[in-house]
Amino acid sequence: MLRFDRRLLLNFDLVLLGAVLVVALIGLANLYSSTHLYTNVGVPLYFKELTYYLMGAAIILLIISCDYRVLLTLNYPLYALMILLLLFALVFGKNISGAQRWINLGFFRLQPSEPAKLILVITLASYYYRKDTGRGFGLLDLAIPALLTGLPFILIAKQPDLGTGLLLVFVFASMTIFVKLQRTTLATILCGGLAFIPIGWKFFLKPYQRQRVETFLNPENDPLGTGYHIIQSKIAVGSGRIIGKGYLQGTQGQLDFLPERHTDFAFSVWAEEWGFLGSFTLIICYFFMILWGLNIAISARDKFGVLLAFGVVSLIFWQAFINLAMVMGLLPVVGVPLPLFSYGGSSLLTNLAGLGILMNIRMRRFMGTS
Amino acid sequence: MSPRHFARINKIDPDELKMLKKRIDIAMAVIIFSTALLVTRLWYLQIYRGDEYIKLAEKNRIRIQEVAAPRGNLLDRTGAPIITSRPSFNVVWNREDAPNPDAVLKDLASILKEDISVLLDKIRAAAENPRFMLIRLKEDIDWDTLTTIENKHLSLPGVRIEVVPSRDYLYGDFASHLIGYIGEISPTELKANRYNKYQSGDQIGKQGIEKIFDKYLMGEKGRTYLEVDVHGFQQRQMQTQEPFPGNDLHLTLDIELQRAAEEAMGDKAGAVVVMEVNTGNLLVMCSTPLLPLQEFVGGIKTPVWNKLLHDPLNPLLNKTIQGQYPPGSVFKIVTALAAISEGVINQDTTFFCSGFINFGNRRFGCWKKGGHGTVNFHRALVESCDVYFYSVGQRLGIDNIAKYANSLGLGKKTGIELEHDKGGLIPSTAWKRQRYKDKWHEGETLSVAIGQGYVSTTPLQLCRMTAAVVNGGTLYRPQMVHKITTPDGKILKSFSPVSEGKIIGSEHSLALIREALVGVVHEPGGTAKVVRLPDVFIGGKTGTAQVVRLAQNEGLGEQAIPYKYRDHAWFTSFAPADKPEIAVTVLVEHGQHGGSAAGPVAKAVYKRYFELKSGKKTAPEEATSPVVPEEKEE
Repeated sequence: MLRFDRRLLLNFDLVLLGAVLVVALIGLANLYSSTHLYTNVGVPLYFKELTYYLMGAAIILLIISCDYRVLLTLNYPLYALMILLLLFALVFGKNISGAQRWINLGFFRLQPSEPAKLILVITLASYYYRKDTGRGFGLLDLAIPALLTGLPFILIAKQPDLGTGLLLVFVFASMTIFVKLQRTTLATILCGGLAFIPIGWKFFLKPYQRQRVETFLNPENDPLGTGYHIIQSKIAVGSGRIIGKGYLQGTQGQLDFLPERHTDFAFSVWAEEWGFLGSFTLIICYFFMILWGLNIAISARDKFGVLLAFGVVSLIFWQAFINLAMVMGLLPVVGVPLPLFSYGGSSLLTNLAGLGILMNIRMRRFMGTS
Repeated sequence: MSPRHFARINKIDPDELKMLKKRIDIAMAVIIFSTALLVTRLWYLQIYRGDEYIKLAEKNRIRIQEVAAPRGNLLDRTGAPIITSRPSFNVVWNREDAPNPDAVLKDLASILKEDISVLLDKIRAAAENPRFMLIRLKEDIDWDTLTTIENKHLSLPGVRIEVVPSRDYLYGDFASHLIGYIGEISPTELKANRYNKYQSGDQIGKQGIEKIFDKYLMGEKGRTYLEVDVHGFQQRQMQTQEPFPGNDLHLTLDIELQRAAEEAMGDKAGAVVVMEVNTGNLLVMCSTPLLPLQEFVGGIKTPVWNKLLHDPLNPLLNKTIQGQYPPGSVFKIVTALAAISEGVINQDTTFFCSGFINFGNRRFGCWKKGGHGTVNFHRALVESCDVYFYSVGQRLGIDNIAKYANSLGLGKKTGIELEHDKGGLIPSTAWKRQRYKDKWHEGETLSVAIGQGYVSTTPLQLCRMTAAVVNGGTLYRPQMVHKITTPDGKILKSFSPVSEGKIIGSEHSLALIREALVGVVHEPGGTAKVVRLPDVFIGGKTGTAQVVRLAQNEGLGEQAIPYKYRDHAWFTSFAPADKPEIAVTVLVEHGQHGGSAAGPVAKAVYKRYFELKSGKKTAPEEATSPVVPEEKEE
């Protein structure tokens, strides 16, 4: 049944692959710098991350081998699986520092909120593709996609992981606006959203979450408590100056002043050791990858491809933007990793799968349509 | 795989594609804007404020450990060391290395033979300090304790040994009032401007020379720059700046003479001052009882302090400069100088002493109840006839006496570079008017003429006065340091004699007085015959300073008078008589008689001085023959 089309190989997206490889290599080198001094872990983390990359490569191969339109049939089963995993994590999940985020699979600790991001993108793309009338969506039309987003949002926010939850909301908003809303709907949503902020602040945020935001607004108020992360990260980034302190020479990172330096604050380690030149280069890599993703979206052969590619791009963009803004002190500390750069198998595999979908769409842009 | 399996593929309608492209463009604009925002922020942090952040990062990781500099040595005038520095070992506590503090502290307490609560109190007192700061638990432990701790260091995590330079007192409490002591800087001192280079835990001079010359003695602290991680664990040593030892202070003090004076004073309370008459250099500054320096190491304990404070012998007082006593008959030198110089008498003027003189409705007695008969100037000084000087004083008037006293450096501070230098008091009509809003009564002049009444002086003042009287009339500023040298021996600062001017009074009168003062020691009837040495002529003047005149003590035997009411004994002197070199002033508190109590001390000093001069080194001190009380003066 598998009849391989040679055109697929010819149209393979080498540009995106190249961009992914560059970021991956930088990320691995940086991970070595931030973790080589960890002595109490068995397998070195950079080695683990490399294995995840290999697993990711396999997943990409699997994804590009079938037409992305298969997702139109797989979307609801995937969605159901995601909800089940999230529920499972909430009930039986491994409790790490007060949050129930992980499911232990023995060889791998899965963080279901990561694949949930991508599955939501697939689900919304499928839904909007099917329901699109061309007239633009009204408020009532949005009830179902809002529900589809709301369910995982609640389950993730309950873990509690508000950062990932809000990321889902951003992705939902980006995709919804992209498929075209009626003007009145857009206005209503905007007003409703603004009205929700104070209510959400008061009733939905946990005290530690409120404190994080307050600390963000004024980190020097609590330099040793919750403000510590922001202050130390800003010191790490700032002290890199133009050319950085040199590879493995960053004092903030190597001497442990920087918290979470291999996960959420991986960029700070990079910025400290490679300075403005290195950081700028990395940001441009992401910038390029995302613009290229938009190019993939607009050149897709059908509207599902456009929506799906746009969804994946918005997912990568929002993660990158929130993480970078966070480590540079522009946003409060929320646990959003930098795609491909922060250590973590679930996040890496999810993002690689998303990039695999982009490659899939790209390589099938000329495939037969009727 | 065929797309037919999934859904019908609709090629995008060109109009819709245009719309989608428009929205992609908007998305692109959002992305470009966001990226620009991030890059701007990056520029702001790394380039615009990079230098600030690098400082913060350095502050995070670099910890400066200071190494105290060895304090400069104190040497005597011959260059012999009095106080040096040696390494001492302190037990310090590092909270960050101590996973199990209670058990370790219990062990440590038993090794140090301290109660554990003492250690805990010290740790509690430092609770406010940053955790990486070491807490000193015990200072200057002995060698055995040190080896015990070093042997057990594996079972004592958190305990460290700190090596700091410490003072080595080669002669114990020797000259302790003058030299003072050192101690940890107090929170109040830390706030003072002169200590802005110091930090908590530093040792500073607390008293005396150690305090006054602290800036020369302290040296420069060494610094070790350590790289530490966020937990304060030392990663590596980056740079070391060796401490630079303090400068050496060459005192004018003479160890041998000072010791002779301290030994001769024995357990008597009082003061001995020896000054080179032609320079103002002080060879001896002895105040007894000595300050017990050991009690001050590591901070004096309140009960000990209270005991010292209430001790009737006043060990806390540096009597050479802080003790203000009526000079008694020693003051007759002043009265004599004024009288001859002012011409109210000449050397042949005689008065008849019947043992007392009546003035107004009061009777002023001579110490010699039976009277001296007819005495001239010379005999009056030699035998210290009170009646003679009552009469002379009457002729002079108080303001003339005060003028000469002031010129001799009395009634004002000597200018010695020490704290708490007291000026004493020379009364005058102006003073009385100001102080008591009252006029001067002539009767009071009589008391002042023999050094009683309002007059008070310090031993240092009288010593300097004696030097001025015998050196041809120059009043020198007392000095106790003659030079300061750097550790490699270069002279940093040297002190030459400072003249504070000529005293008033004629050459002739000074010669007469000097002659009479030699008579006090060497002539029959002199009040200080006990001081005589075989080879050297000494001049001097005894004095007895009344503490109180209490009727109930009249007629009591000397030993029956309570200690605190007994008179003070003075002796001020110079030698050799023909070409004076040194002036020796002795005060014995409640010693009762200048000749018998203070004289022998001066004699011991002279003996040692001339032995040293003639090269007879450290002849064993023969037992001093018990002093036979001769005629007693009042």
